[in-house]
Amino acid sequence: MSINDFWIILTASLVALCCAIPGCFLVLRRMAMFGDAISHAVLPGLVVAYLISGSRASSVLLLGAAITGLLVTFIIEFIQKKMRVQNDAAIGITYTFLFAVGVILISLFAGQTDLDQECVLYGEIAFVPFDTITLDSGLLLGPRQVWIAGGMLLILLVILRIGYRGLYLTTFDAGYASTLGVSVMLWHYVLMGMVSLATVVSFESVGAIMVIAFLVGPAATAALFAKRLPWMIAIAASIGVLSSIFGYFLAVVLNASVSGSIAVMIGVIFALALLLKRFFPS
Amino acid sequence: MQKLSYYLCAIIAVSFAISCTPSKQAEISERPKIVATTGMVADAIENLLGDQVELKTLMGPGVDPHLYKASQGDMNLLANADIIVYSGHHLEGKMIEVLHKIGKTKPVIPLAEYIWENRLQRSDDGKGAIDPHLWMDIESWKLGVNGLSDTLQKLLPNKAAFIAGNFKTYKDTLEKVSFEIELAIGSIPKSQRVLITSHDAFRYYGLAYGIEVKGLQGISTVSEYGLQDVSNMVNFIISRKIKSVFIESSISSKSLQAVIEGCKSKGYNINIGGSLYSDAMGPKSSPVGTYKGMLRHNTQTIVNALK
Repeated sequence: MSINDFWIILTASLVALCCAIPGCFLVLRRMAMFGDAISHAVLPGLVVAYLISGSRASSVLLLGAAITGLLVTFIIEFIQKKMRVQNDAAIGITYTFLFAVGVILISLFAGQTDLDQECVLYGEIAFVPFDTITLDSGLLLGPRQVWIAGGMLLILLVILRIGYRGLYLTTFDAGYASTLGVSVMLWHYVLMGMVSLATVVSFESVGAIMVIAFLVGPAATAALFAKRLPWMIAIAASIGVLSSIFGYFLAVVLNASVSGSIAVMIGVIFALALLLKRFFPS
Repeated sequence: MQKLSYYLCAIIAVSFAISCTPSKQAEISERPKIVATTGMVADAIENLLGDQVELKTLMGPGVDPHLYKASQGDMNLLANADIIVYSGHHLEGKMIEVLHKIGKTKPVIPLAEYIWENRLQRSDDGKGAIDPHLWMDIESWKLGVNGLSDTLQKLLPNKAAFIAGNFKTYKDTLEKVSFEIELAIGSIPKSQRVLITSHDAFRYYGLAYGIEVKGLQGISTVSEYGLQDVSNMVNFIISRKIKSVFIESSISSKSLQAVIEGCKSKGYNINIGGSLYSDAMGPKSSPVGTYKGMLRHNTQTIVNALK
């Protein structure tokens, strides 16, 4: 076990925690595929950012992706509320539309350029230990992604602490919330903003499959057992961290992709939880 | 809820405390560990240094660099390497950013970026990105290997003479192969000198050896091809009476199947001339497992099918 292994597990765990918080609300609101939608929908944002800046540096593209991520939220909300289209249908139509726009933009303007999320946006968690921050004094501060994910986690915790009541009420009983004067719209956008930023930033550090898996898997597993929201978040967070640890060791044993192994572990834990629930219903 | 937040903060604080350790510069050992990204790069290192180094390749035979996924072991290879050599010009995608970062602590050498600016081709009539498939033109690749050889000589001063000698031998071999290819392509009738493949990997090959190149997919193997691309290709093939199209070992041949079907529906039969090695070499112990073997095989296949 070297320091590099520790960094990877820590980054995965931090991302798991970042995803567990909004993930629980997404699962409860039946919007679990939102993360997957964002992973596809950011493509036109990447292309436009590339066409404007002419560079494939990830900071520029990340900005384009983050803006599109928020835009997706607004479009989905608009279609759903104003056009009275069902939630999952609104998500489905929005992200496929935006992804398709991205594909067309690439073949029109950037057809000869190696430009796709896989290549320019999604990070590789195995390479996290190499992307370190070093101060001018020579002090090594550890991987950049650990700081990004850690900072993101702090922000999410602060939002959760301040907005817990609003998020809780609007998630479980939107009608009741609005009679209490809690704005359903506002908290919806707060949550979606959390999801967009957390996912897009995590894409950049650890790749798409892990983020989507972390967003849905642990929360869905926790939903099998938890009776109260705080417990659900706590269980989802623990499952995320456990999957990171066991998934990493699976990757070591198989010498396989780290993010793939962790995502598999999330699925395995969910399956075990299902069996557990089936045979010990209490 | 509150307790949970406290635990999380504690974990973060502890990990940051651990992380604040001073950095250290690695020393290069007697038998340095060198990691190469692609097989073509590894071939150059093998020819320059032989068994004087412990050489590992990240993207093995048949692995498409555009679609490469790192494994846990690859992370360890990069972490423990003394020197890392890659191809460059965005061939390795986002991984190049990581390699630049690693370059702050140990030597990381971009082979293809030693090649002179005037030998680089851009896509989209000069407006697009630089085409990274530079190993397809031996003369260009030789310049890259020359740069690599100079840098390695500086990094490994007690092997400098050995490397310089090996470079000369390697250069001579490459020049011989280059000449062979030129002769072989020259033996194809002029009107038949058209190379149709699934993605744009052969631009440099075409320019260097005088064969017109048409790719269906663009530089990246992941970009989509349009319907128009297919029907244009079909019309082009029929009007020029081209005998064969070529598939690439590291990519699916599905897109070219569409072209073949398209030709068939217009009553023109075109066959697959064979499989070419473009982004990755063949299995290690086979003749196509070396750089020169790969180029020879490609040339032989093209000549046999078009002559």
